[in-house]
Amino acid sequence: MAVLKCDATIPERDKHILIKGEGQDGKCSIACNSATTPGDMTERGCTYAGCRGVVGGPVQDAIQLTHGPIGCAFFSWGYRPHIADSDFHMKYTFVSDMDESNVVFGGEKKLLQSIIEANEAFPEAKGVFIYNTCTTALIGDDGKDVAKIATEKIGKPVVFFPCEGFRGVSQSAGHHVGNETIFKNLVGTAEPEEDSAYSINILGDYNIKGDLRTFEPLFEAIGLNIVARFTGNVKVDELKVMHRAKLNVIHCARSATYVADMMETKYGTPSINVTLWGIENMSKALRDTAAFFGLEHEAEKVIKREVAKVMPKIEYYRKRLAGKKVFIYQGGPRAWHWPELLAELGMETIGAATTFGHADDYQKIYEKVNDGAFIIDNPNVPELEEILLTLKPDLFISGNKEKYVAYKLGVPFVNGHTYETGPYAGFSGMVNFARDMDKALSAPVWKLVKDMAQPVPGGLEEEVA
Amino acid sequence: MSTVVKQERAVSINPLRACAPIGAMLATFGIHGALTINHGSQGCATYPRHQMARHFREPVEVATSSLTESTTIYGGRENLLAAIKNVYERFNPTMITVCSTCLSETIGDDIPAFIDEFKGLNPEIDIPILAVKSPSYVGTHITGFDNFLKELALALPRKTRPNKRVNIIPGWVNPGDIREIKEILSEMQIDGLVLTDYSDTLDGGLYSPRPHFPKGGISLDEIKDSANALGTIALQKHVGGEAARVYKRRYGVPAHVLPMPIGMANTDRFIKTLSEITGKPVSAELQSARARMLDAIVDTHMITTGAKVAIYGDPDLVEGLVRLVVEMGMEPKYVATATDSKTWPTDLMALSEEFNLDMEIMPKTDLYAIHKKMKAHPVDLLIGHSKGKYIADEEKVPLIRAGFPVEDRYGYHRRSVVGYKGGVYLVDKITNALLAKKGALVSNTLLEFK
Repeated sequence: MAVLKCDATIPERDKHILIKGEGQDGKCSIACNSATTPGDMTERGCTYAGCRGVVGGPVQDAIQLTHGPIGCAFFSWGYRPHIADSDFHMKYTFVSDMDESNVVFGGEKKLLQSIIEANEAFPEAKGVFIYNTCTTALIGDDGKDVAKIATEKIGKPVVFFPCEGFRGVSQSAGHHVGNETIFKNLVGTAEPEEDSAYSINILGDYNIKGDLRTFEPLFEAIGLNIVARFTGNVKVDELKVMHRAKLNVIHCARSATYVADMMETKYGTPSINVTLWGIENMSKALRDTAAFFGLEHEAEKVIKREVAKVMPKIEYYRKRLAGKKVFIYQGGPRAWHWPELLAELGMETIGAATTFGHADDYQKIYEKVNDGAFIIDNPNVPELEEILLTLKPDLFISGNKEKYVAYKLGVPFVNGHTYETGPYAGFSGMVNFARDMDKALSAPVWKLVKDMAQPVPGGLEEEVA
Repeated sequence: MSTVVKQERAVSINPLRACAPIGAMLATFGIHGALTINHGSQGCATYPRHQMARHFREPVEVATSSLTESTTIYGGRENLLAAIKNVYERFNPTMITVCSTCLSETIGDDIPAFIDEFKGLNPEIDIPILAVKSPSYVGTHITGFDNFLKELALALPRKTRPNKRVNIIPGWVNPGDIREIKEILSEMQIDGLVLTDYSDTLDGGLYSPRPHFPKGGISLDEIKDSANALGTIALQKHVGGEAARVYKRRYGVPAHVLPMPIGMANTDRFIKTLSEITGKPVSAELQSARARMLDAIVDTHMITTGAKVAIYGDPDLVEGLVRLVVEMGMEPKYVATATDSKTWPTDLMALSEEFNLDMEIMPKTDLYAIHKKMKAHPVDLLIGHSKGKYIADEEKVPLIRAGFPVEDRYGYHRRSVVGYKGGVYLVDKITNALLAKKGALVSNTLLEFK
């Protein structure tokens, strides 16, 4: 018997669904990080999406050049709000624009020509990132070799990401490729003018709607220098010197642990995992980071000051939000980062799902939710719909595509993926997050929907079923 | 005197086009209860879904055959067979469209053969399964739509008895445009078959309970009946023109391939054609709408005349918009499309000769090329989809959003740019944008003088 009715015809989906309960010995034995069932209405993206969209794309002064046909470049252009001091990377996308004859005769020449022309058009760019696609991988273009030749020709780093879409089972593989490629090609290729004993890298933050501005000043206020952000609001030159930081502070453990591990092996840089969402988590992140440098006293001062600023607002929202039940569906870590900050506001996570979570992600979710909570891997649209209708969460937190499914079902929704309004990280971001949830929950429209939504006229249902 | 300007760059910077599968997906939404399977990597389904959700603000569901490394090596046959079966069993659709992608085309998957095999293995599954060629490296997003319409016209219609209906192929338009076209048909008391009609499926209301499939879309029976129509009118040459010719060749239905009905003359032509095909007179309501549009152009001509404009987007949309802005006395300077069409530059040159225009006609181009032109010789106004916002911001030129996608504003999918009402909307929108930008003395009222 399938847990979800809609899975009656795809029984293997059952292995990807788990309800936390007795007899599980605290272990989350859920099938994950495996290929999507064909015919599934999955929400997953591809390896290219993970590499270009998440990891490489935010680098603000690199030419973002897709080696392939037009679609991959067009669709990955500008939809993820990883904003930066310079908006070059958001404003421009570049593509070698393969047509049928290029596919037949090979695209290496066109790629080289594209790099040269792009660099001529934007000489201020500090490097060129080339992303491979299904097509150019299949025809066997040697992008790595072209990158090498191009580097010599233009005198700037040209970095090739082997991130063709069919690699791996989800966009998660693209994060791995992104980390590895940046590490091998850029990290350690320059030395900073000055060295600081109090320097860190922030890893796995992509500055969605300006997240960095909520917590960067706090790290600086306790006396730390940020060498590089990986990769929100980062410059190519900062990536080159990031090996000189004394500590790696990892925010998104799913997408950026790879680079921290490689830095530990090669440079001996230690790292700590933090969560930069929520009052408690943010405070702990500052404490843990400061402790590494012996700056505990400074950290406490900053935490005290900042928490005092936001607490009245948090209290206000806590009263309004307490007791609400939430279903979270995010890419990876937010599904295990956020149950804690929801709990801070008195809310309960009754269901959590991720697009591309691995076993360790699900274990973390498992440990943070109550018995009876619903955990689901790589859910598809009918499953999401059934969950919303049967679990009846007060609020659904997910991304843009799922937003309209929720709306059609009359379920309040917050876009946790690219955010509704402005940053959600840090102390002040927590206020934004609470405000958005309150807006979603208390909007009068839901009463209108409840009282006034009409059945479909004309009985089209019977015609189909 | 206008000139045709070819782009010589290898690299495309800020492309103004997407790729083919999204077109076949969009067209499929116009058939009630139909679903799409994208045969390729997961991103090839998710990216277009995300793009459509941003434009239409609606749930957009598409299945994928989820090809990964091993299936890429051994072929996607098994994945596709499983995908069709799963989609059928789970959703009970009326029809399935299978789009090819770069990946499945490059590895040489024979989708029609796989579909035949599937039908042989599952004789009890008796729904149309349509294969559409849509690799990204051939054509643009409109190619997938156009190929879909051709395949549909070849596969489904059945010649039986004449039905006194008119087939209308709107092409790649917004739900608002389809609604406007249907209103014109209804005002003339013409029974139309809109191929395909996503006016409700992608601009639907909120119903409780949520229907299994969104309300709306043309039914399969209606598509079958389209072989018996009085005539076919394709309202875009590049999206549906070929399908109209298929109807003529296969089923003897006369084909009328018209320019997109944007502006006075093009709308007149559409309505005249409708009247000729059916023998129905132009309704009094349509004549009033026409008079109102003329009135709107008269009211605003002192502001619009002489204003320079750059227009980009899909070829038929751009051609229609050029005629409208010329009717308004404006001067189109740069007209651009990403499509590599043989006929488009010729058609634009003909327009240029008709009105003695001085345009740079830019086929197969990108937004960067337009931006460079505008930097050298500025224009007063930009018309096109929302990817041009970066140019508009940088050059401080107003952008009138039209076409697909409009992702940074709400509601454009609900608006119509076709017909007389669409014309009035554009005239007002364009005029007000010029007023807001320049500041001007209008009817003795001082507006933000610069």
